[in-house]
Amino acid sequence: MRKLILFLIILALFASCKKYLDVNTSPNNPTSVPPGVLLPTTTIAIAFANTNDLDRVTSLLVQHIAGIASQAADYDVYKLEGYFDNAWNFELYNGAINNLLKIIDEHGATSPAYAGVAKLQLAYAFSMLTDLWGDVPYSKAGRGLKFGSSPRFDKQQDIYQGNAADSIQSLFDLVKEGIADLDKPSLLKPGKDDIVYGPDTTTNLAKWKRMGNTLLLKFAMQISNVNPTLAKSTIDAVIAGNNYINSNAVDFDVPFGSSVGNQNPLYTFNNLNRQTDQMLSQRLLNLMRSLNDTVRLGKYFTKPTGNFVAFDNGATVTAPTLASRSKYNTFVTGTTGEAPARLLTFAQVNFILAESALILGTAGDADTYYQAGIKANMQKTGMTTAEIDNYFATNPSVVTLAGTTEQKRNQIITQKYIAWIGNGIEAYNDYRRTGYPVLALANNAAGHNPNVIPTRLTYPLNELSRNPNTPNPVTRTDVKLWWAK
Amino acid sequence: MLLGSILFFYGQLLAQSRTITGKVTDENGNPIPNASVTVKGTSFGTTSKDDGTFSLTIPAGSKTLSFSAVGMAEQDIPIGDKNSISAALSTRLNTLTEVVVTSLGIARDKRSLGYATQNLKADQFNDRGQVNVVNALQGKVAGVNITNASGGAGSSVNINIRGITSFQGSNQPLFIIDGIPISNDVDRTNGGPTGSLGDNQPPNRALDLDMNNIESINILKGPAASVLYGSRAAAGAIIITTKKGSGQKGRAEIIASSNISFQRATGLPEVQNEYGQGSLGIYNPNSSNSWGPKFGSTPTVANGLLVGGQPVDYNPHPDNIKDFFETGLISDNNISINGGDAKQNFTFSAGYLYQEGILPNTGVKRASVKFGGNTVLREKIKLGGSVTFTNTIQDGILGGNGQSALAAIHGLARSIDLQAYKRNKTWKNPDGSNNYAVIGQENPYFGAYENPLKSNLYRVIGITNLGYDFTSWLNVNYRLGVDAYTDRRKQIFALGSGRVPNGLVMESPIIRTEVNGDLIITAKKNNIVKGLNVTGLLGNNINQRRIQTVELQGDGLSIPFFYNVNNASTLNNGSAEETILQRIVGYYAQASFDYKSFLFLELTGRADQSSTLPKNKNTYFYPSVSAGLVFTDAFEIQSDVINYGKIRASYAKVGRDAPPYRTVQFYEKPEFGNNVAGFNFPFGATTGFALTSRLPPTSLSPEFTSSIEVGLNAALFKNRVTIDVAYFDQISKSQIVDVGVAPSTGFAEVTANVGKMTNKGIEALVTIMPISERNLRWEVSGNFTRIRNKVNYIFPGVTSFSIPGDAFTGSIPTIKEGEPYGVIVGGLITRSPEGERIINPVTGTYLSTLANQILADPNPDYQLGFTNNLRVKSFSVSFTFDFIKGGQILSFTAATYKSRGALKETAVDRDQPHILPGVVQDATGKFIPNNIQIPAQTYWQALGGLQSEFNVYDATTFRMRDISIAYDLPGTLIQKLKLNSVKLTLFANNVFYVAPNAFFDPQVNTQGAGNIRGFDFQSVPNARTIGAGLKVSL
Repeated sequence: MRKLILFLIILALFASCKKYLDVNTSPNNPTSVPPGVLLPTTTIAIAFANTNDLDRVTSLLVQHIAGIASQAADYDVYKLEGYFDNAWNFELYNGAINNLLKIIDEHGATSPAYAGVAKLQLAYAFSMLTDLWGDVPYSKAGRGLKFGSSPRFDKQQDIYQGNAADSIQSLFDLVKEGIADLDKPSLLKPGKDDIVYGPDTTTNLAKWKRMGNTLLLKFAMQISNVNPTLAKSTIDAVIAGNNYINSNAVDFDVPFGSSVGNQNPLYTFNNLNRQTDQMLSQRLLNLMRSLNDTVRLGKYFTKPTGNFVAFDNGATVTAPTLASRSKYNTFVTGTTGEAPARLLTFAQVNFILAESALILGTAGDADTYYQAGIKANMQKTGMTTAEIDNYFATNPSVVTLAGTTEQKRNQIITQKYIAWIGNGIEAYNDYRRTGYPVLALANNAAGHNPNVIPTRLTYPLNELSRNPNTPNPVTRTDVKLWWAK
Repeated sequence: MLLGSILFFYGQLLAQSRTITGKVTDENGNPIPNASVTVKGTSFGTTSKDDGTFSLTIPAGSKTLSFSAVGMAEQDIPIGDKNSISAALSTRLNTLTEVVVTSLGIARDKRSLGYATQNLKADQFNDRGQVNVVNALQGKVAGVNITNASGGAGSSVNINIRGITSFQGSNQPLFIIDGIPISNDVDRTNGGPTGSLGDNQPPNRALDLDMNNIESINILKGPAASVLYGSRAAAGAIIITTKKGSGQKGRAEIIASSNISFQRATGLPEVQNEYGQGSLGIYNPNSSNSWGPKFGSTPTVANGLLVGGQPVDYNPHPDNIKDFFETGLISDNNISINGGDAKQNFTFSAGYLYQEGILPNTGVKRASVKFGGNTVLREKIKLGGSVTFTNTIQDGILGGNGQSALAAIHGLARSIDLQAYKRNKTWKNPDGSNNYAVIGQENPYFGAYENPLKSNLYRVIGITNLGYDFTSWLNVNYRLGVDAYTDRRKQIFALGSGRVPNGLVMESPIIRTEVNGDLIITAKKNNIVKGLNVTGLLGNNINQRRIQTVELQGDGLSIPFFYNVNNASTLNNGSAEETILQRIVGYYAQASFDYKSFLFLELTGRADQSSTLPKNKNTYFYPSVSAGLVFTDAFEIQSDVINYGKIRASYAKVGRDAPPYRTVQFYEKPEFGNNVAGFNFPFGATTGFALTSRLPPTSLSPEFTSSIEVGLNAALFKNRVTIDVAYFDQISKSQIVDVGVAPSTGFAEVTANVGKMTNKGIEALVTIMPISERNLRWEVSGNFTRIRNKVNYIFPGVTSFSIPGDAFTGSIPTIKEGEPYGVIVGGLITRSPEGERIINPVTGTYLSTLANQILADPNPDYQLGFTNNLRVKSFSVSFTFDFIKGGQILSFTAATYKSRGALKETAVDRDQPHILPGVVQDATGKFIPNNIQIPAQTYWQALGGLQSEFNVYDATTFRMRDISIAYDLPGTLIQKLKLNSVKLTLFANNVFYVAPNAFFDPQVNTQGAGNIRGFDFQSVPNARTIGAGLKVSL
C-alpha cells in the first residue's frame, strides 16, 4: 500500500512536468514589432555612426582636429589597426542595415512608404561603408544566415554600378527603387517615428524624395573620376527632376537630444567623457586664417581665451592646458548635445553642382553654385547676414572661382571641406577623390605606411576573424579605393 | 568578554581524576610502542612505552579510551569503572578508510569510489584569515585552478575544476551545502558608462558562507563524481558539509572563536623618486607623468620650476602610492553550539565578520545566524533541517582603466603630495567636484570617497529533510532546499566626477531564488550472492532558478551630495528590468556493486528535462560507469612496502542545457556606443527597438562533456605514504554557443551547437607522514596539476570568437581554434622576416602592430601545492606553498608604471639617449639593428602601451600561501579553567611570493570569477593577511 502511494506521487510528479517546463518565453523581449519602432533605431544608428568613432578618425585624417590622447592620438598618426569594430558591427551592419532589411522584407509589400525610406537609408549606410573601406559585404549582407555565415565582399565598383552577373543591385538603383516606393499606396506611413522629416505625414515623404535625389547627386560625384558618363547622366537627370535638397531647411539632418543618453556623440565625447583627447588642428586654423574666415571658424571651434588655441597633427610636445584649448563649438556639439548629425546638406548640393558644372559640364554656373554653397553653410553655422555679406565683400578672391579648372576645383573642395567640419567622413571622401585641400603628413606619422595619409580604414577585427571572405592579406591603408584619385 | 561568556556556559563540575594503566599490542600480542592513547573527545592522552605499556590520568566522567598507531586500525574501548585497560590493535587492512560525502549528500567510503574526490577538513583551511571559502582552498587541491580577482575586500575568486569545459556556459563548479545546490554566482554591476569593466570587483556568492560552520569540503572533480547532480555539476561540484550536533553523545559543545587580522597591499611595483611630475623634462602640474625635471634641479622658467619668480614646491613623495592603500582589518567572531546525539541533535551558530579593505572606503560586513536540528520519530521517520540567514554588505569603489581611483593611483606622479588631500579632506571642491590638478583624472581620494558602490544582501538558505525507513533495506528521503537572496546595489557618481560629470545614481536590486527538491529512494541488499552487496538508488530532482533584476538609473543630478534617483533629470537612460526563469526536472538511478569490499562497480544514469531547450527535444540522458579494484585485497598482497592499492577507472558523460530564452529571435531596446559616447532609447518620446544581435538556432540540443578517468590510490610503507593519482581525458562537444558570425551578416552571433574542446590532465596528491607519534606528528602533502586545454574546432567558417563579457577593443579574450581556451587576441608589433621588431626610421619607435594576433595565454603550464603539518606536543604548525608555472597576464598596471615614468627602472640613465630593441630598414631595404636614439620618455612610452606585447608577463609565481601556528593549552590548565579545549592561533596568508618574471604580483584577475582570465586592468593589488585567533570550546 505504502509503495503504491509512493508510486502515485512519483507518477504525479512526472505528469505535471510538461506545463512546469513551459516557461521559456522571454518576458524581457518582444518577438514581433511594428516598423514604427525600427525606423527611429535605423535613423539614429546611421547618425550615430556618422558622429562617433568614424567621424573622429576621418576628422583627424583630414586635419580638422588634432589628436592628443588615446585613440585620437593613434588615429592622428595613422595607427588604425584594431579599431572600428563598434561602428562596423553595432552601428552599421547590426544597427542600421539588418533592421532596414527587416523593414523592407517584412513590411515592403504592405507598407512601401516604410520600405522606401528604409531603402534610402540603406543606400546611405552602404555608401558609408564602401567609401571608408572599399570592398565590403553588400549584396549578401545583413540578412542573417540567408547567404551563409560569411557574406561575400562585393567590389566597390559593383556596389556603385551594380553587377547583374553577380546579382548586385547598384546603389543608384537602390535609391531609385526607394524613391519609387514612396509613391505607392501604403498601409502604414512614417509619422511621429520619422525623427528627421516627421511628424507631419503630409510633407515628410516628399522631403525623403529630396533626400533620395540628393543621395544620387552625392553618389554620382563620388564616382565621377572613374565613371564620368554615369555621373553626368545621373546628375543631369536629378537636375531635370528638380527635386533635391533646395534649402537648409530640408537638409538631411538627424536630430539628437539634450537629455543624457540622447546626446550627439560629438558632445558626449568632446565635452564629457574624453575632454582631453582632441582639439582644433593648427593646420585648419592656418587655412582659415589664410582665408580670413575666422568668424566662421568661431562657429565651429571655441576660443576660451579669446584666441584660437590649436595643436599640430601628430605633435608630441605638451598640449596646451585643457582650459585654453579650442574645441568644437556648440554648432557642432549643441549646448548639451542636441546638435544634429548633418548628413546631406544644401551646401553640399551646391558644391556638387558647382564641381559637376566645372568638370562634367552639367547645367548651371559653377560660380553661382559655389557662392550659394558658401552662403548656405555660413547661414547654417549661424553667421549673420551682415557677417556673410561682409565676408563676401572683403574676400572676393575667395568667393570667386579663378584660374585653371584644377585650381577652381581646389577652391570648391576647400570650401566644401570647411562646410564639412564636424562631418569628417564627407571631407575625407572628397579629399581622397580630389586630393583637395592639399594636406601635409602629420608629424610622427606611423601606421601601415608613414608616408601616405591613409586612403582607407583597416577592416575591423571581428569581420577579419569571422569572415574568411575578408581580403587576406589585409588591404593596406595606402591602397587607393576604386573611385579615388 | 569572550572568556566570560564561555565561563557562563560552563556547567560541568570536575570531580576527582584517576589513573588507568594498560598495554597496547598488535593482534599477535607484540607490544606497540608510541601508540597514542587518549580520552576520546578530549586532549587528555599519552603514548605507549617501548614495551607497549602506558599510564594515563583521566578526568572523572571520561567514557572512552581511544587507541591508535601507525598502520593499525583505531580502537575505542569504554572505560566504565575499569582501572586497567589493554588493547590489541589489528593491522589496518582497509587503509584509506575515509568517509566522504559524495553526490546528493550520500556518505561513502572513499575506498568504494571509482573516481577522484578530495576531501578537506575544517582544520586544513580554517583559522587562516580567509574571508571567502574558495580562497581557503588555494594551493590545497589537485586538479583545481583558483585565482582571486585581487586583494580587494569581497572581490571574487575564480575556481575551475579540471579545466574549462564550456565555451560560454559557467565553468564554476556547483556549490552544494548539506545536499542542496546554492548560488555561487557573480552578479556584476554596470559601473556606469564603462560597464562591468568599471565595477568594484563584486564577490562570488560563496562569500556569504561563514567558514566557522563548515566541517568539511569535498571536491568532486570529474563528471563521474558529480553526474547525479546533473547538468549543473558539469564543471564539478564543491560539497560543503556543515557542523552538526550528532557527534556530541548527548552533551552540548560550545565553541567560541575569535580571529583578528590585518592586511597590507603587496606586489606594488618599485617606483623611482628622482624625477617628478611633468613631461620632456619640464614640470607640469597637470601631467599624470613623472617625466619632469630631476629633483634638486635649479628652478628656471624653462624647466617650469620657476613661476612668477617663485620656485614651485617640487619634492619627491616616495610613499604616495603605497600610503594610498590602507591597513585592512578583518575581525571574525563566531559562537556555535552543537548538541545532542545521533538521533536528536541541534546546531546553532552566530557569526559576524567585519573587514576594512586595503582601499579607502571599502569593506565587507557579514552577519549570519544558523539554526538546525535533526530528529528520529517513531524509529523510522527522520526529520531534519536548518535555516541560515546572512546579511552581507560590500562597500566598494569603482575600478578600472580611465577615470577611477585605481587608474589614477597606479604610477602616480612622484612629486604629488597625495596624502595631503586626505589629511586636509580637500579631494573635492566646495561644490563637490573633483579637486585634482592632473588632467583627465580623478583625485584617487575623490574616486574612493565620492563614487562608492554598495551592495547590501540578505540571504536565506533553508534545508528540510524528511526520510522514512520502510524496511531495514529500503529507505525514502525527500530533501527540499531554498536559497534566496536580495542584493540591493547602489552606485553613485558624484556631480563633477570624471566618468559622469553630471552625476548619476543607480539603484539595481538583484533578486535570486533557487528551489531544489530531491526525492531519493535507496535500497540495499547484502550477500545477494556470497560477498556481493548491491545498493540501488532512484531519484527525482526538481530545480527552479529565478533571477529578477531592475536597474533604475538617474542621470544628471541637480543637488550636490544628495544621492537619490529623485535628484535626477533623466531616469530612462540605462533603466531596465529583466526576469529569467529556468527549470529542470531530472530522473536518476544508480546501482552500486560491492564484491567482498575489493571490487566495486557503479552504474548511473540521469535524464534531465530542461525548460530552456526546444519543447520537443528537451529531454536528454547521460550515463556513467565507474569501477575500482583494491588489488592489494583481491590478490592478498601485503608487505611492509605496499599496504593498500586500488586502481580505478570511470567513463562519464554529462549534459548541460542552454541558457534561458535562446530558441527564438526577438527584439530589444538598442544601445549604441560605449563608455566614451552612447545612445539609448527612448529618444524623447520616441521608442526604438532593434533585432537582437543574436540569431536563434536552427535546432538546439544540450552540450555534452564526456570524460575518461583512470586513477590509482596506494598506501605504502606502513601507510606512511599515500598516493592518489588520476589521469583524465575530457571531450566537450556540441557546445551551446552564441557563436560569432561575421558582423556583415547583420548579426553578431548565432546560437548553435558547435565546437569541440578537449582537456587532458594529470593530477596527483601525495601525502607522506614521516613521523606519527603522540607528541610529534609530521605530515607533508604535495599536489600537482597539469591540464592541457585545446579548442579543436568551432564552426564552419569561424576560427575564433570572443568570450562574452566586457573587454577593451584591442585585447579580446578569445576562443580560437587550435589554441587553449581564453587566449587574449590583440596587436603584435610587426616583425622583420628574421623575427625582429621593426622600428619606424622617422620616429625611432615601433612601426605598427599587426592586429588579430595572440597576445597572451592565461593558462598555466602546471601547478604544485605543498602543505606541511607538523605537530609537536601542543604546538602545531601548518603551512602551504604553491607554485604556478606559466600562464600570462596582460597588465595595464605595468604599462601605466612605465608610460608614466614612475617605475624605478625608468629613472635609470634617464638623461641618456635610449634605443628600442628592434631593427630598422636601411636605404637598401635591409634590416639592420636599430640605432635610433630617442629620449627615455619616448622609449618607455613605446614600451608602455596598455595593450602592448611588452606588458604581457609570465605569471609564474612561487608563493607561501598560508601559515598557521596553533597552540592547544595543556590538559591540566584546561581542567583548571574547566574547559574542553583552548586553542591559540597565529596565522598569515599570502605570506610572500616570488614572481621571477614580473615586477608586480601577476596572480590577479581583474574580472574575477568567470571565463575571462589573464587581465590586470589597473586593479587592486593582492593583500597579505597576518592575524591571531582564539578558539575556546567547552
